[in-house]
Amino acid sequence: MTYDASAREERGAVAESASDRTFWGRLSSWAPYQWLATFATASPRRQFLILAVFPILWVLTQHLGPMLQMLRVSLTDAYPVAPGVEQHFTFDNYLSFFGDSIFWMPFFRTLIFAGVFTFCTLIITYPVAYFLARHVSPKNRMLLLLLLLIPFWVGEIVRTYAIMILLGNTGAVNMVLRFFGLIDRPIPFMYTSFSMGVGIVYLTALYMLLPLYSSLEKLPKSMNEAAADLGAGAWTRFRRITLPMTLEGISSGCTLVFLISTGFYATPVLLGGPSTTVFAETIAGFFHVAGDQWPTGAAFAVIMFLAALAITAAFQRLMTALRKGDTK
Amino acid sequence: MTKLILNRRKFLNTAAMTGAALASPAYLRRAHAQGGEVNIWTYNDFVPEAFKEQFESETGIKVNVRLVDDQGKQFNLLAAEAPNPSVDIMTVAGHRFLQFIDSDLLAPLDTDRLSNWGNINPTFSESDWSTINGEKWGAPILSGMEVLAYNTDYVSPEEAETWDTLFSEKYSGQTAYIIQDMMSIIMLKMGYDGNMVAYMDDPEKAAAIVEEAKNFLIEHKPLVRKYYDGGAEFQQMMVNQDILLGHSWNGPAAALINDGFPLGMAIPKEGSYGFVYTYNIAKNCPNPDNAYTFLNAILASPEIGAAMTKASGFISTYKDASNHLTDLEKKSTSFPDEQLANLQFFRAEANEMKYGLVDPAVEAIKAA
Repeated sequence: MTYDASAREERGAVAESASDRTFWGRLSSWAPYQWLATFATASPRRQFLILAVFPILWVLTQHLGPMLQMLRVSLTDAYPVAPGVEQHFTFDNYLSFFGDSIFWMPFFRTLIFAGVFTFCTLIITYPVAYFLARHVSPKNRMLLLLLLLIPFWVGEIVRTYAIMILLGNTGAVNMVLRFFGLIDRPIPFMYTSFSMGVGIVYLTALYMLLPLYSSLEKLPKSMNEAAADLGAGAWTRFRRITLPMTLEGISSGCTLVFLISTGFYATPVLLGGPSTTVFAETIAGFFHVAGDQWPTGAAFAVIMFLAALAITAAFQRLMTALRKGDTK
Repeated sequence: MTKLILNRRKFLNTAAMTGAALASPAYLRRAHAQGGEVNIWTYNDFVPEAFKEQFESETGIKVNVRLVDDQGKQFNLLAAEAPNPSVDIMTVAGHRFLQFIDSDLLAPLDTDRLSNWGNINPTFSESDWSTINGEKWGAPILSGMEVLAYNTDYVSPEEAETWDTLFSEKYSGQTAYIIQDMMSIIMLKMGYDGNMVAYMDDPEKAAAIVEEAKNFLIEHKPLVRKYYDGGAEFQQMMVNQDILLGHSWNGPAAALINDGFPLGMAIPKEGSYGFVYTYNIAKNCPNPDNAYTFLNAILASPEIGAAMTKASGFISTYKDASNHLTDLEKKSTSFPDEQLANLQFFRAEANEMKYGLVDPAVEAIKAA
């Protein structure tokens, strides 16, 4: 008993001296902190609120906040407001889109480009994801994934310039083709929908690859083996088992890539040509060319945002219906 | 190879700018060590690095440079910060003065506080566009112009004498231009006033002219390789031989010539437009005294003007600045008199009407 008490005192003294030495130790022994910690963790509901408050604040201030501000600007007749100018509420900025057909072409062109590039990205990345998930040994998968991730360590602009270096008249592709005598004059890849497509597919490939890889990796091998035992060929196994079972990954990847593709600005500006003007360029024009019409630009941004969301929602419904159809 | 040339040029420029700054310390030595800071919004290379370092060490005033690449963005930034901006000095193109003045964003320049004001060539400091409402609004530092730039290995100087070459089948898919700037040039090429000042009382005629220019550019759209936005893009396309000729500002083109690239430039016979960059003081700026100290210092000697020309490629507005340029630099920043006779300056009086018509036209051309 005497021994236990002295040992406890000793441990207490050690803990006390440690808490005297470190900031965290002093903080944890500070009475207001102890009260706050006890109050905050008194019930699971309070613990949940404490944990949720920071993510909610983040989403509100960093995601929803700017979008709501953009919505507000789109409903005004002047922004930034010059001294002495009164700001008024108006729908005119939205009407200017629907009232002038010159804006429809880049709008629909953007949606069509985004759809086509999303499909191309899916077609290109699916075999890569399939190979990674089904044919590479688990110990090598992380290494290969890491290699695929390396280009994404640098920013969008740098990677876009890499495409320019590849596809320019004096770029690597034309140089190789000329070296092998396949062409006499350089092929003008740059500033076309082709170069823009290559850039966007390259920039968005990872957003497609990871969801596909995730869904393919979860697919049990036994299902394909059972189908093979029952006489199903490779194509039938893919069409009847692999593809339906990875619809969720396809859906996630396509949604991500489509939404990102509708908002690309720098890549179309740098890689696109006279006939590939996308809606983001039209919107940017309202913010910085001579007109300086922020409210109109904001309204156009809101229109594109809503259109992209509507298309994505329709696509999700289609995929959900397909998944349900396959499980019946 | 190009990279090596650029590096060498950067090195030579740095050496030249260091020399320029060292050659002009007299004013700075007289300056009081007043301290504080001065905040400047300007284009890349418009404040020579060696000058900045010496100014900071001599005056104790820290120079904070924020790079801008577009007049519209700069206007929006300043308008958003008004009436208490964070900037002291910004760089406004002369033909954008009115927009800034009308929005009450600039302070009139008190030239009596600038003992070096007389170092500016009067062609620029005393011209009609620089005086508005009886006040000076900026110190002209560099001038530029819209030129036809061409790869001399493929395009002859005779071909570059007319804007028609830019729209010829011969160079189909090998041309580029800034579409907004080209609208003004096409109007001029068609015999109209590209500034639209002549049609301020006749909006219908102005609209018809813009429509005609728009239709011309739409008709010739299949021939153009790229509508671009900035000088660096133009340089990139030229170096990669994605284009052989194009409309350009003279600054980026001159920089390529100084790098040794086979480039020529001309002011075609149909005419073109010039513009002047000025340092302006923001209304209610936080450090007005430091702003005037900086302005007076940067106007102190032609060597500083020459250093700005070497770095940016634009033409200095300082008296005798060309005496401090190499022969190649002089060649890249000068034009024959007969070509200069075709040049006129952008004007701002009709900007509201002009861009109200031109902006939708530009969108229509892009969408076509």
